[in-house]
Amino acid sequence: MTAVSTFPRRAPRWRVVRTLVAREYASKRTYRLAFILDLLFGIANLFVYYFISRTLGAGDNADLGDAPTYFAFALVGIAITNVIGAASTGLAYRIREEQFTGTLEALLIQPVTLGEVSIGLAGYPFLFSMGRAALYILIGGGVLGVSFAGASWLGFCVMLFCSALAFGSLGIILGGIILVVKRGEALVGVAMYTLGILGGAFFPISALPSWLEAIASVLPTHFAFQGLRSAIFLGEDWAMVALALLAFAAVAMPLASYFFRRAVDHTRRAGTLNQY
Amino acid sequence: MTLELSAVRGTTPSGTSLLSIRGLARRFGSRDVVRSLDLTLAPGERVAFWGPNGSGKSTVLRCVAGTLIPSEGEVRVCGHEAGSLEARALVGASLSQERSFDMRLTGHGNLLFFARLRFANDRRAAKEVAAVEEELELQAIAAERVNRASSGMIQQIALARALLGDPALVLLDEPTRSLDAEARNRLWDALHRRERTAVLIATHLEDDVSRCDSRVDFPT
Repeated sequence: MTAVSTFPRRAPRWRVVRTLVAREYASKRTYRLAFILDLLFGIANLFVYYFISRTLGAGDNADLGDAPTYFAFALVGIAITNVIGAASTGLAYRIREEQFTGTLEALLIQPVTLGEVSIGLAGYPFLFSMGRAALYILIGGGVLGVSFAGASWLGFCVMLFCSALAFGSLGIILGGIILVVKRGEALVGVAMYTLGILGGAFFPISALPSWLEAIASVLPTHFAFQGLRSAIFLGEDWAMVALALLAFAAVAMPLASYFFRRAVDHTRRAGTLNQY
Repeated sequence: MTLELSAVRGTTPSGTSLLSIRGLARRFGSRDVVRSLDLTLAPGERVAFWGPNGSGKSTVLRCVAGTLIPSEGEVRVCGHEAGSLEARALVGASLSQERSFDMRLTGHGNLLFFARLRFANDRRAAKEVAAVEEELELQAIAAERVNRASSGMIQQIALARALLGDPALVLLDEPTRSLDAEARNRLWDALHRRERTAVLIATHLEDDVSRCDSRVDFPT
């Protein structure tokens, strides 16, 4: 059968993504207390690490990479863990919310592509985490005395972009898993927390037992933390890491997109798109 | 089940049926919900799906909307495979009305959200929302946050969403279940004003069936 040419003009891709992000922001804004407490908890967490660092005076013998103090090391770890976490779990958590509210089916009936939906749903948590990371770094530099004198902010931004791409592909895969198995949030949370811890978010991986250090040293999170710390404290040695993450993303992103499409098809075949 | 409805109001400009369902079967596990359905719909044609709960009415609507893949057979909207981007752009649907909105936003906010996913620019989206709110007399209802709205109010917002942009085909799953007589009349008036819009409606109400051109009976 021949298709007729009555396909109406549809919204541009960027506007679909913006619309999804704006809806999530509008919805989250109605939970004012949770929004504020979330930020306050993060800042309080920052101070905990600051006082631990002062109490223990750590850093003299520790392998902190390019960070001048333990607190500086942890500050970047905390800030970036948020961003990496949002890139890799944001879509999964948002899909879970859409399943609960029942809006996932209503959304997928609209003339929008899966790519637009993936980026749009993950967009708000990612942008919020970027804002939070910027706030932490401002507080770290402005209030808690961490020096960023040697920082390459261009390098830092490039590293963030490459990390977001690399972990975004993992996020799409996790989103597909949640779509199919529904109740997998705990698994997603544990997996990402472990990746963060082992990757060197809060302490150097040299503190780990040698067999675990060998595993940690090949984790993409380790590369991301290493490159971001080099960029923000040293201002160099980040370009190769950025390339490695980009290469990882170049391989992982098409695979992740394929996997996500298969996951959506599975739910359409099983008839579980509107279930939670 | 084998049903054949003829196109009574012609075809699309290229001669293709607006909706073509051929040999549609849908199973859930070992249960055959829809066995073999053939249905052709022309622009402006209204067909009511009539039958008890669990007889497969909503299943067929979901296959047309593209959120379910048929076990057998094919569904095409203006020649495009159901669920494809092209087909979805031609279809307006009101399926699970009460669980399909962001409860923290107003009805208006939700309608704007869906309109912005469909239309090429924000101004057009806002215009379409204003027009459908005015037509269905929804301004007061749409101003309420959805979590403070009643089932009937949410159902009316869902209908407005299905009519956004005058889609070629509207799918309605028990759209009048919680509506009072006035709201029901407003809905049918809005559908009758759209002479070229085809409608597939799953319903339990004789009144809805009487306003359609034909009825498809779904067996127990």
